[in-house]
Amino acid sequence: MGDTVHMRIDRDDVAALELGVTLLGSGGGGDTAWAGAVLRGRIDAGRRPTAIPPGDLPPDALVVPVGLVGATAVLAEKPMGGHEFRTAVDAIARWTGDRPDAVMSIEVGGLNGLLPVVAADDLDLPYVDADLAGRGLPRLDQLSTAAAGRGVAPAALAAPGGQVLVLATGTPADVERAVRGFLTVVGGWAVLALSPVRVADLPGCAVVGSTSGALELGRRAVTGVPGDVLATGRVVDVSRRRGTGFGRGSVAVLDHATGAVLRLEMENEYLLALRDGAPVAATPDVLVVLERRTRAPISCYHVRPGIELVVARLPAPAFWADPAHLPVVAPRAFGIDCDPVPA
Amino acid sequence: MIAVRGLLALPEWSDVVVPAGADGLDRRVTAVRAVFDLRPEVAAGELVVPVHPPPAADWRVDALLRRVADAGGAGVLLPGGLPPATRLLGDRLAVPVLVTAAEPLDLVVAARLALAAPDLDRARLVLAAQAALGERLRPPEEVVAVLRDLLDAPVALLDDRGALLAGDPVRGAVRVDEPVPQRIDVPGGVVLAHPVVLPRARPSAWLAVELSGPAAARAEVAPPALALTGGAVQRWLLANRLELERDARSRTALLGDLLRLDGEPTADLRRRATDAGWQLGGWHVGIRVGVPASVDVVARGPDVVAALRAAGVAAVVVEHGDGWTAWTSFDQEPTAARVRALGTRLRAAQRDLRRTVRAHMGVGRPHARFEGLAKTVAEATDAARLAATRVESGNFLHVDQLGMAQLLLEWTRTDTFEPAARALLAPLRGLPGDLVRTLSAYLDAESSIAETAATLGVHRNTVAARIARVERELGVDLAHRDERLALHLACRTVLPTG
Repeated sequence: MGDTVHMRIDRDDVAALELGVTLLGSGGGGDTAWAGAVLRGRIDAGRRPTAIPPGDLPPDALVVPVGLVGATAVLAEKPMGGHEFRTAVDAIARWTGDRPDAVMSIEVGGLNGLLPVVAADDLDLPYVDADLAGRGLPRLDQLSTAAAGRGVAPAALAAPGGQVLVLATGTPADVERAVRGFLTVVGGWAVLALSPVRVADLPGCAVVGSTSGALELGRRAVTGVPGDVLATGRVVDVSRRRGTGFGRGSVAVLDHATGAVLRLEMENEYLLALRDGAPVAATPDVLVVLERRTRAPISCYHVRPGIELVVARLPAPAFWADPAHLPVVAPRAFGIDCDPVPA
Repeated sequence: MIAVRGLLALPEWSDVVVPAGADGLDRRVTAVRAVFDLRPEVAAGELVVPVHPPPAADWRVDALLRRVADAGGAGVLLPGGLPPATRLLGDRLAVPVLVTAAEPLDLVVAARLALAAPDLDRARLVLAAQAALGERLRPPEEVVAVLRDLLDAPVALLDDRGALLAGDPVRGAVRVDEPVPQRIDVPGGVVLAHPVVLPRARPSAWLAVELSGPAAARAEVAPPALALTGGAVQRWLLANRLELERDARSRTALLGDLLRLDGEPTADLRRRATDAGWQLGGWHVGIRVGVPASVDVVARGPDVVAALRAAGVAAVVVEHGDGWTAWTSFDQEPTAARVRALGTRLRAAQRDLRRTVRAHMGVGRPHARFEGLAKTVAEATDAARLAATRVESGNFLHVDQLGMAQLLLEWTRTDTFEPAARALLAPLRGLPGDLVRTLSAYLDAESSIAETAATLGVHRNTVAARIARVERELGVDLAHRDERLALHLACRTVLPTG
């Protein structure tokens, strides 16, 4: 626990952190530009956002996981009011009776890799270098607390319109279903706060060091392609289909060097890569898709035919290698009848 | 064997299109299999037809193509709507992706029937051959004609040296030393040959069919029918052989009875000879053809008859021991010229036979009537025995040209007598006084010391001393006629004649 370092996020770090969390989004997780701008604004205003290792806190200190759930694209039409994080955290604190001592992210991948840092500043609480996914994940029943058997409930939701919902009990699947229902009612997105977790419990139910890891990844990605390259080539086809749950789609990339056909299967994230029909990478490993020339990440939403891409694979956090944790993030958890692909 | 392209030619498959993997259309199809699982175990040559195909855009279609490619399968049949990624993959893997709007199981049934067609064709041909040949024995000409009609192709029955026995000539040389079914490629076609094996190691005959042009495609179909037809030929040959054996045995027995005859033949014997078509009256010249013990004299009997006939000699030929005993008959005593002419013809016949078998021949002198038959056969037999070792005369001896005395003397040149002669005279070797030549001259001179001395050009006392020495060394008494005869023959053998 004490092996991560006290990490202050400087203005110059924001771009790398943004890039790192976007890559960990595996093609999903929402646009980080707005959150990055807010974070820069705080730094310019003299705030000093810092990610502290859990070991810097007493073992009994309580960390509240927070994040934004729902359609992040709606943020542009329906911006945050600024009160949502405090409302959600207050609601969960009132319900559980525990005052949180620190804040962590529910998932490091994408928008939620940055927003909870801002939220911690708002709440004037330390931000802990840990999250509940280690990457981008689309569903609450896939969070590491659910995988570790702690469940997700109780959970508090605060919508931009002022509505607050506390889900007291329920299985992770129940919570996920109820939250989706609430989101359609309140118009797209809400802020989620989960029951605070003792610092001593974090290693067993969370991915520790994920924010510093994302920053490190982002720095590496500035100079080169991180991970194992699966293909470098042109997108020859993108097909999107409606289905149960999130829509499914696939991307076909023709590798320049070998002529191989790399097929990416995606929902909100890139989930599976097949090279010439054989699976070569699958969730929970992260699939990194970059524009070949600029090395800008290309999300599932933005990928289109004609783009030149580099596709690479990043290994999943060690937390997901545990066979007890793996099932909630393995391909079959996404309805893809394929075994995880070992590196 | 059928390729994917071949399936597309089936009427039921006429609406099938190939949006991807057309480069793989020449992949061989061994089976068309409906699969319920999207991750089936695919075997080489299998064309996979998912019964519950995933949506066309599903990644599992790609994974299935890859499985088929990895297993060396033939392709995949799907209901349409392939995304570009899958089309690209099919092209890249050269796995034909066949798309149809028809009921896939109907196509599976049609394809399976097509795949089974060669087996069905093979079975139909065997059944047709069986029906056409029937139960009864048929001569090879008929058997060959049955197969020719069934295959509509030239069919030949060849002998053990590959020469045509019946049917039509076929191209290509059968490797007669390899007793296994053969396939010989000839320009524009193929010759299939099947050995007909009797209970001896070497095939007795070959059944061969030439399939050329479009018929060459039936090369895979024809062999079982060829084998069945070969069986019919084999039955005929076996039955024929049985008859030949029986016939040969009765002739051999009759000949034995005749040769052993002492006095007039009985009425029964005459009757048997007449039934066999043998002429006992008139003049006969005996012929003996000897062969190595390994030769099948029953099977080769017709060859001897044919060789004699070709040389213009009508003879009775009887299988007898390691060879044949034969004779030709004349109504009148043949003139010397006629006998000489006969000898020439027989020599020609023997030369003819020697092209295929190591035969030696002896010929007797003309003798009259049935008792003369035994005599001339005996002379021929003696002559043949000598002929066997006489390479310089072409392994042919005619008693008439030798004279009886010479014939007898020839006996002393045999391999058995010569070592004995040398052994008899061995004690004289190395002794001074030219004892062997002196002994030989003495015996030639009818035991006259004076004449011997004159012949050798030495003093008569010298001769007397030498003869005494010979008697002493050999331990013989030259007054004794048997010992004299034996020594005389021995000298003839050991000393160069003339």
